[in-house]
Amino acid sequence: MMSIASQILFNSVIAGSIYALVALGFSLIYNTCKFVNFAHGSVIAFSAYMAYFFFSVLGVDFGFSVLFALILASLLGWAMNFFVYREFRERKASSSILLIASFGLLILIESLVLMSFGADVKTINYIRVSKGLEIFGAIITPLQIVIVASSIVVSIGLFLFMKKTKLGKAMRAVSNNKDVAEIVGISSEKIYSWSFIIGSLIAGIAGVLIGLEQNLEPTMGTNLIIKGFTAAIIGGIGNVYGAILGALLLGLAENFGIWYLPSGYKDAIAFAILFVFLLFRPKGLFGAKKEGDKE
Amino acid sequence: MIEQYLIHLLILIGIYLILAISLQISIGFTGMLNLGHVAFYAIGAYTSALLVLNGFPFWLAFLSAGILGMIFGHVLSLPIKKLKGDYLALATMGFSFVVYAVLLNWTELTRGPLGIPGIPKPSVFGINLSSNLAFLILTLIICIACYFLIRRIVHSPFGRVLESVRDDELASKILGKNTSKVKSISLMISAFFAGLAGSLYAHYITYIDPSSFTIMQLIPVLCIVIIGGLASLRGTLIATGIIVLLPEPLRFIGFPSSMIGPMRQIIYALLLLLILLYRPKGIYGKVEIE
Repeated sequence: MMSIASQILFNSVIAGSIYALVALGFSLIYNTCKFVNFAHGSVIAFSAYMAYFFFSVLGVDFGFSVLFALILASLLGWAMNFFVYREFRERKASSSILLIASFGLLILIESLVLMSFGADVKTINYIRVSKGLEIFGAIITPLQIVIVASSIVVSIGLFLFMKKTKLGKAMRAVSNNKDVAEIVGISSEKIYSWSFIIGSLIAGIAGVLIGLEQNLEPTMGTNLIIKGFTAAIIGGIGNVYGAILGALLLGLAENFGIWYLPSGYKDAIAFAILFVFLLFRPKGLFGAKKEGDKE
Repeated sequence: MIEQYLIHLLILIGIYLILAISLQISIGFTGMLNLGHVAFYAIGAYTSALLVLNGFPFWLAFLSAGILGMIFGHVLSLPIKKLKGDYLALATMGFSFVVYAVLLNWTELTRGPLGIPGIPKPSVFGINLSSNLAFLILTLIICIACYFLIRRIVHSPFGRVLESVRDDELASKILGKNTSKVKSISLMISAFFAGLAGSLYAHYITYIDPSSFTIMQLIPVLCIVIIGGLASLRGTLIATGIIVLLPEPLRFIGFPSSMIGPMRQIIYALLLLLILLYRPKGIYGKVEIE
């Protein structure tokens, strides 16, 4: 019994770490650009497929494959912003239009991935079946430790970046008040570009890790972005670090939920939580007050 | 052969038209960015299929499909009453995922991923409509009835209340309208017609499984609504024809059949992006998405 509980706990932390990575990138873009970027999910899928393509198809060294996948993911994020969202902003499109546009972009990129790689499930065979370590009766693979560690490193890295660097501060300024930020000489377009680059880089990391841990499917991004969004809502959408806690809570709820329910309901649990939060606490656990007035 | 193909396309246009004009009620007329429409379509399809397979007559199953859709529309309207914009869009989309997950996992009822095969073609009051032509006539009758019913609704005083909620919710509250109730009713009407469309789809294709009701299915319907123009029924009519027929040439230029599905999605997604960018009001739209 004890070992089941600790295994579920570990699984929750692993799932939570993945969701946290998704939610971090998503929240970063949401906070600066102020719209729901569904296409963030397709960046995750794209990066996983790129890692697969370089490593398993072309046979490139693993380190370089991951590097290329991350660079391409950032580039995709930048391109989406530059070629699509910027055009919308120039036409003064509302955030709802941007949301629908990002949904279109998600479907577009997913379908392109589907056409290029086919619908069958792919695996990156870098780490063959590895023997798990036993901790408190729970079994955890080295890859899963890497996932949790990456998630912690990325969170701390992003925190320091936002607090210490000039660019990070400028991002917070634009997120706080775009007009005032522009008055003091911060180019908001430039900041949007950077938040897409960094957000998509984090999405790329998430994509590669998920690609190593699970199978690749062209539609994997859609599901993940809803999870990431749910985590962001639980944590409070204006709060990047709340998203991390939200992601962990989501991981816990899902993994303990399927102790009782058939495992297929895992996704439904996430959406049920999304509903509960939207219903009772749309600002999330740590949401800033003013976020509610933004609509 | 070519006749059968044309009949097939016309039936699809009919079903999509019902689905699109019902979505117009919530997005176009009430201004609620409802991304959960496919869920009601799915509920309608499964309700109707299961009832008919359990010996109920088609007309009863057909109506139940609409009514159950409406009930779920009411259920969904409860939590989302106060939500707007992004939150509303995501909550409704979340609803559609929940319904999908239930269809996939409640195997005792829905047979899960195996789907429900052998849904009989309808027979109405003793007339058997098993040929596609007969089904087309039925679809057309239902479609025209839905179209004029919805036209009647949106041009009624209630329809004007809906538009006032879309244009300025606060103002219509000040005028004494119970806007959350209005929005709830709007979602229910919208869900009712989506349920009817689902029933028609189930009995036409005769096989349904959860994969026919993923969020991907929302894209063509959303395209129709936006291309036709918000709050324009005439535009919706034209756009339905365009959207259903546009990817059809793919079949004839020797595209491998496994590529047609994603290619169609690509066309829709590009079309959606282009129209939002260059003509956000669509063909006949009166308003833009807030």
